[in-house]
Amino acid sequence: MSLPELPPLGLYIHLPWCERKCPYCDFNSHERENLPEQAYVEALLRDLENDLPLAQGRSVRTLFIGGGTPSLFSAGAIRTLLQGIAARLPLAEDLEATLEANPGSAEAARFAGYREAGINRLSLGIQSFGNHQLRALGRIHDSDQAHAAILAAREAGFARLNLDLMHGLPGQTEADALADLRQALDYNSGHLSWYQLTIEQNTVFHKHPPLLPVEDALADIQDAGEGLLQAAKLENYEVSAWALPGHACRHNRNYWTFGDYLGIGAGAHGKISHPDGRIQRYAKKRQPEAYLSAAGGEHRARQDWLEQEALPGEYLLNALRLREGFLLADYRARTGLDRDSLQPALDTMLARGLLAENPDTGNIRATPLGRRFLDSVIAEFL
Amino acid sequence: MSDLSHIRNFSIIAHIDHGKSTLADRFIQYCGGLSDREMAEQVLDSMDIERERGITIKAQSVTLDYTARDGKVYQLNFIDTPGHVDFSYEVSRSLSACEGALLVVDAGQGVEAQSVANCYTAIEQGLEVLPILNKMDLPQADPDKVRAEIEDIIGIDATTACLVSAKTGLGIEDALEYLVENIPPPEGDRDAPLQALIIDSWFDNYLGVVSLVRVKQGQLRKRDKIIPKSTGKAHQVDAVGIFTPKRLETGVLRAGEVGFVVAGIKDIQGAPVGDTLVNAQQPDVPALPGFKKVKPQVYAGIFTISTDDYEDFREALAKLTLNDASLFYEPETSDALGFGFRCGFLGMLHMEIIQERLEREYDLDLITTAPTVVYEIEKKDGEVVYVDNPSRLPETGEIEEMREPIARCSILVPQDYLGNVITLCSEKRGNQIDMQFLGTQVSVVYDIPLAEVVLDFFDRIKSVSRGYASLDYSFDRFEPAQLARLDVLINGERVDALAVIVHRDQIQHRGRVLTDKMKELIPRQMFDVAIQAAVGGKVVARTTVKALRKNVTAKCYGGDATRKKKLLEKQKAGKKRMKQVGSVEIPQSAFLAVLKVD
Repeated sequence: MSLPELPPLGLYIHLPWCERKCPYCDFNSHERENLPEQAYVEALLRDLENDLPLAQGRSVRTLFIGGGTPSLFSAGAIRTLLQGIAARLPLAEDLEATLEANPGSAEAARFAGYREAGINRLSLGIQSFGNHQLRALGRIHDSDQAHAAILAAREAGFARLNLDLMHGLPGQTEADALADLRQALDYNSGHLSWYQLTIEQNTVFHKHPPLLPVEDALADIQDAGEGLLQAAKLENYEVSAWALPGHACRHNRNYWTFGDYLGIGAGAHGKISHPDGRIQRYAKKRQPEAYLSAAGGEHRARQDWLEQEALPGEYLLNALRLREGFLLADYRARTGLDRDSLQPALDTMLARGLLAENPDTGNIRATPLGRRFLDSVIAEFL
Repeated sequence: MSDLSHIRNFSIIAHIDHGKSTLADRFIQYCGGLSDREMAEQVLDSMDIERERGITIKAQSVTLDYTARDGKVYQLNFIDTPGHVDFSYEVSRSLSACEGALLVVDAGQGVEAQSVANCYTAIEQGLEVLPILNKMDLPQADPDKVRAEIEDIIGIDATTACLVSAKTGLGIEDALEYLVENIPPPEGDRDAPLQALIIDSWFDNYLGVVSLVRVKQGQLRKRDKIIPKSTGKAHQVDAVGIFTPKRLETGVLRAGEVGFVVAGIKDIQGAPVGDTLVNAQQPDVPALPGFKKVKPQVYAGIFTISTDDYEDFREALAKLTLNDASLFYEPETSDALGFGFRCGFLGMLHMEIIQERLEREYDLDLITTAPTVVYEIEKKDGEVVYVDNPSRLPETGEIEEMREPIARCSILVPQDYLGNVITLCSEKRGNQIDMQFLGTQVSVVYDIPLAEVVLDFFDRIKSVSRGYASLDYSFDRFEPAQLARLDVLINGERVDALAVIVHRDQIQHRGRVLTDKMKELIPRQMFDVAIQAAVGGKVVARTTVKALRKNVTAKCYGGDATRKKKLLEKQKAGKKRMKQVGSVEIPQSAFLAVLKVD
């Protein structure tokens, strides 16, 4: 079994620090003052250099700087980083370069600098426009700063802008949630990530759970919000992602279509396919200090080769999150497997009306019912 | 030595908690059977489950050398007996290897019904029964009262009863002397051809079948060729010996002795309990009477959650029945649960223990359906059938008369709790047969439908009497009764494994409680789940599990697929413990919940 053509390549860069860790966040983020900007950028480039063979001659189509709070880094540091990457790896002409930013006033001042450094898409962690909701979430910005940050991003020349919004927040009513959405829609940002607050393990909220709306109230919020977003002509191209045509996040789409990506930075994950059909996943050291002090080649914490039996589940885990689903031809190109490898779960899910297949195009996607119970559907393939 | 006068074979009859195991441990310790380091508490209860539940299930034996006050060394063979009401059958097996039994009674609590029944079994089998009053260290010990009770209730002389405290060690030596003096030695010709009774057999993964035997006559030696009478197949003896309680090879067991035999028997039916072993060179020795087959009282279907486990399950049941002849099983097919076995048990505790052993020792994931007793059905065409599975009840139109089994229950209760016990018995549809005041205790006899007795009667009678009342019961007769099958329908589909047979007066109540319980246990799914209880075509109760609105992880960003995958795999593992009935997933607990309904 071999892969005649390797998938497109993305690059994920993790900056692991925050001014303050949010109680719901289970990402690899750490509180620290006096960020070691220069040392970290150097470590990232050393890390990248060791990963270079994994690119296998491909250019990078998208890059994404996530965190933590990447916008704690100065524009100068981001420029050095992007220049360093460009010097080591070919970047596609139409490179999508996203940076996650916190909508605080200090950060907003850097937006123009990021744009000049080569970042062409900004993702703002608004979460809510309601001050009491922001406090409940432990966010350090307020509503005014959120509004100001969006305007600053526009002014800095970001034509592509994502606003992150959460719903199902402690004490939130349907009206509260819709008010947040309406304010976001007013900015016509082209892309919204609208997702329900999930209590993850190893978070403050897991240990001290806040009082969240009950399941039915959550579902009401979801239904009402979807109506509002559809009316605004946004397409729900992935479970929690909404975009105007041409504004979908290409970097995330690459994850969801089982593309390849390099991951550099503390706790970053990568996934790489090889022409002989083997597929590896790897992760970098999580602790920033351990990562910083790692010499060349020691950044990696672990790597696994995916078992062939696991491939159908690995592929569908993300592909079914896309509204458009996937083509069997693409499934074969990415995994080397054919339709039979999805059985018997595929037939069961088709029979139960949770998945739909178009025999002419070979497209398989979740039905509206299947989208509501996507976790149950995906679990059938694991 | 062809003299058997130095051997004493005995059992201990005692109610749970009256201190049998502790007393046995003291005997072992006194005779030096184990060093202090090895003296784990209660060594005789060797199964994990026995240890955890503080009860003895399987017969075990231990051979001890006791140097008596007359200077002679006696070989004491102690054969353990179970103390729970469900296991009276096992008791008679153990007793058949003995010439005497110690009746251990808690000097504070007095005689309990179970001990009375077991004492009668011992006396019927010709054993010498010696009373021992234990727990003399407790302030509430009242030996005079208990002596009188033993004489009043059981009818044996208790004036010479030994006073001991197994806990403090008081009177242990006296008890051993008492035993040596009063229990007769076994009889049996050591030069006659071999005749040995299999008291117990169990399967050891390394040795194959291990049997505990009592040699009635002749000798059993290593490398002898022996034949179990029931199979007629010859096997060479690989090892013989005794438990001290460690397994000790002695190379020979002689008439009058109790010990183990390993003869390379791999087939688990090759040495059944109650069978007789003879020497291959003198095979014409007659078989011993063996044991009477006990009839299971409670039946339930047991199914594997994963169909892949079916063969393992069949094998596990075969191994368990080797040393538990009271466990009955035959294949059963359920529309809802697939292939499994209908199993018969002595009682609820027996059922729980078997299920636990299957899950623990054989690593199986099982679903047990609601237990039921056997009903006698006379059909219109005159045929009489016995139904041990509610889903096999004939159509109402075919039934002339339904009869339920009635148990005769003997209860001993201190006067203070008599009122509570009587209330409980009438609640359980009981009929009083007899009542006698014996000192401070009252002996009451009730006829109660067996279905009511087997479920939780034992626990209830304990709780209404603060643990003081005791119970013994046995099947008496079938009696006509107004019965009906209560079906459970999930989304309109009858789930055969959830059906129960109930008394007509209880239909409304049981139906309502049952549907409510199901609603609690069946998780919300992608669609509404309608739960109905019905008799014939008539719905008596209904409720609905509202559909889940959604089940989808909101945000799944970043390249870390492993974490998300693990979460879904966990969800899936939870589902694996459920059984798909139609399109509805029903958890294991729902099938058993039927019996927890009051």
